[in-house]
Amino acid sequence: MNESHGLAHDEHDPIHPAPTGFLRKYVFSEDHKVIAKQFIWLGLSFLLVGGTMAMMIRWQLANPGVPFPLIGRVVFSKSGGLISPAAYTSLFTMHGTIMIFWAITPIMIGGFGNFCIPLLIGARDMVFPKLNMFSFWMMFLATVILVVSFFVPMGAGAAGWTAYPTISTQMGTPGWGQTLWVVAIYFAGGSSIMGAVNYITTVIVLRAPGMGYFKMPLTVWGLWLTAILNALFIPVLAAGMLLLFLDRTFGTHFFVNGMAIKGGGDPILYQHLFWIFGHPEVYILILPVWGVVSDLTSFFARKPAFGYRVTALAMVAVCVLSAVVYGHHMYATGMSPLLGQGFMVLTMIISVPATVLFFNWLATLWRGKLQLKVPMLFTLGVVFVFGLGGLTGLYLADIPQDLYLHDTYFVVGHFHLTMAAAVFLGSFASIYFWFPKMFGRQMNPLLGKLHFVFSFIPLNLVFCGMLEVGFGGMQRRLYDPNVYGTFKHLLPVNRFISYSAFTLFFGQLFFVVNFFHSVFAGKRAEQNPWGVGTLEWANTTSPPPHHNYDVVPQVVNGPHEFNHPDVKDKDWLGQAEPLPDGADEKAASE
Amino acid sequence: MKVQRRLSPAVAAPAVALLSWSTRAGAELLSGRPEDVSLDGHLGDRLFDLTTVMVGGLFLLMVTVLLVVAIFHRDRPGRAAWYFHGRGKRSLLVTAAFCGTVFLSVDGTLLVNSFEDLNEHFWKWPTDARTVKVEVAAQQWGWNFRYAGPDGKFNTDDDILTFNEMTVPVDTPVFVKLKSKDVIHSFYLPNFRIKQDAIPNALTQMWFQAKKTGDFEIGCAQHCGVNHYKMRGLLHVVSPRDFTDWQKVETADSSRRYDTADTTAHWGWDWES
Repeated sequence: MNESHGLAHDEHDPIHPAPTGFLRKYVFSEDHKVIAKQFIWLGLSFLLVGGTMAMMIRWQLANPGVPFPLIGRVVFSKSGGLISPAAYTSLFTMHGTIMIFWAITPIMIGGFGNFCIPLLIGARDMVFPKLNMFSFWMMFLATVILVVSFFVPMGAGAAGWTAYPTISTQMGTPGWGQTLWVVAIYFAGGSSIMGAVNYITTVIVLRAPGMGYFKMPLTVWGLWLTAILNALFIPVLAAGMLLLFLDRTFGTHFFVNGMAIKGGGDPILYQHLFWIFGHPEVYILILPVWGVVSDLTSFFARKPAFGYRVTALAMVAVCVLSAVVYGHHMYATGMSPLLGQGFMVLTMIISVPATVLFFNWLATLWRGKLQLKVPMLFTLGVVFVFGLGGLTGLYLADIPQDLYLHDTYFVVGHFHLTMAAAVFLGSFASIYFWFPKMFGRQMNPLLGKLHFVFSFIPLNLVFCGMLEVGFGGMQRRLYDPNVYGTFKHLLPVNRFISYSAFTLFFGQLFFVVNFFHSVFAGKRAEQNPWGVGTLEWANTTSPPPHHNYDVVPQVVNGPHEFNHPDVKDKDWLGQAEPLPDGADEKAASE
Repeated sequence: MKVQRRLSPAVAAPAVALLSWSTRAGAELLSGRPEDVSLDGHLGDRLFDLTTVMVGGLFLLMVTVLLVVAIFHRDRPGRAAWYFHGRGKRSLLVTAAFCGTVFLSVDGTLLVNSFEDLNEHFWKWPTDARTVKVEVAAQQWGWNFRYAGPDGKFNTDDDILTFNEMTVPVDTPVFVKLKSKDVIHSFYLPNFRIKQDAIPNALTQMWFQAKKTGDFEIGCAQHCGVNHYKMRGLLHVVSPRDFTDWQKVETADSSRRYDTADTTAHWGWDWES
């Protein structure tokens, strides 16, 4: 361990003293590592809820009008297990909402954002530990509201996860369910903003001495940029939600208008507000995974990341561009041709930094020494599915093709490949990778590999199947596509997608067994089981003490120093580990 | 142990069966698009196929690299990883050259073609005197159609009004303007490769031209409530003579039904508004 003294922190002072009582230790904790676990538990639980809803949707599309097996009679008790059209609209609405705001966001941003940022930059905690705690408990409040919304008369929200007015106003979705949906999103957004403020500031002020911005692991870059986008764009969503709330409860007419309804509002205004947030949101969800993939490709290829600075800057470029492409979600609203073409060009420009990322990932892997351990398998899986997802985006960016493909399953397949499949695999790459540091135990690699096979293959079958039915022209959100003669021949494909989805769902059992077994009875993990040079592995124990680092490390190297010619006894070099005496300092900085 | 060089029938037969099955399945999948019966639908289809060739090439390239590194660059005794950061000028140039080439060739091709398709076809509103103009009011859950009638003016007593069934002549431009009575809907013609949102407080428009007679489906593509899936209409494409006959019958019929007091039925608007 490095002995040089840190300057940014008082030597033996943690940011806050270690708690003693049970409540302060595990429930109202200010420790970023505990809050991270709270977010991950929340996220994984809702991944199960959202996943179960996906199974119900797929069941209906494979066997229209057949009661849902096993739990159907309990969940859909009024209809004897049958999924009614009204229940179906609630299902796809809540599936999207839960997966985005209650699964991906808590796992990758709340969970790994909290766990990784302080540890990877050599800090003893977040800069605002109390705010961090509030961020979780505000999310908890949002969760309670969301759960309650399922049990109010007329059921949960049913206006789609985008909640476009006027379907999301009282005339389209009357009742408390949709109103509580709006409030829950509002509070979940508040939680994200609190987290974002904390992450941004922590990265700026609490980096260990020597940890320049271009020495941070790319995971931190991804999480940091996500936080910046969150801080900038969640307020726009919040504005939309607030106005929608007023329209629903106080009879204002911000978004209400129509041939048969009185009001002076503009429903399209909501779409602008929603997508100004909504398009950055897809990058908010994927950036942490891009960061993790950029690091893990290097870690498990035992080779420095190719073009580290270019990768980081490409992510910055994506963030900047993400704010000016949102109009491609609205091609079908009849926007002016000039605007449509402008958004088409801007959208295609975003493929440049995206290509750079892929180029750098593949160049990192090239001529490496690949260790196909479980986190690496999931990482390569991300590259594959995100490749598919990114490339299918090209069709949709293109207006003449979008006229046909818009609002079909092609879109569903595309955004699931990017947002769902890539983030799903990326989350598991992160869980398998940081599990030893989180819990001080190892996960079982055989079960991990089985989990990978049963996730990766079905994921691709499901979402490529969706591309195919979308290519066939089938719209999204149809309770029963067989109403249309044009889509009747797609039923076998829909069945195939559904059975692949069921395989995917039950394939997660490998993870559940592995996770719970390893948390309580896994093999004790070493400090640095993967042989990686970043601070959390090289400079502290597994799991780290309350204050993370006994001595705040003095950083001298980048995060990806593998197989350095001057390091003889091992194939990695710690970020805070000076080169052996007499070694050429220039080699590492070139 | 002797290696069996010839394929035994036990292996060959299932292999041939599998191959022929997958070929047929593949052909089936590629023909999954609904029949294109429109003048311009092939433009989008052509761009789709072109995009597929281009992104397919990129995807194959990526998968090849992934397979090569996963098979040949694996951690084996004696294998050394390349200590290379890729941050020199040369690396930067290679990255820029690759990404620039991809952008200019793939995105560039798409953009050039798309601008032409949009400006010369999809957004070149018909000026032909024969153009059939139709006003559409979408509602939960159906489509109201309005034709101007003999006087050529909308929202007058000789308008033709139909519900969920639209009749148009073949080989004639059809110009549609849309509004919605309640929530946002989307007027979708799978066989014409086109859709357009119908919005409560805005007027939107689209046009198409059929090149074949027959009955085709109209779908709603925007989630509009519980019965979104039932919001299916029918488009009858008929010969120009049949269309004229249909107009005569419908005009007489609609005029007979016209009721000055029934203001909700007078939802039409001045075409140029």
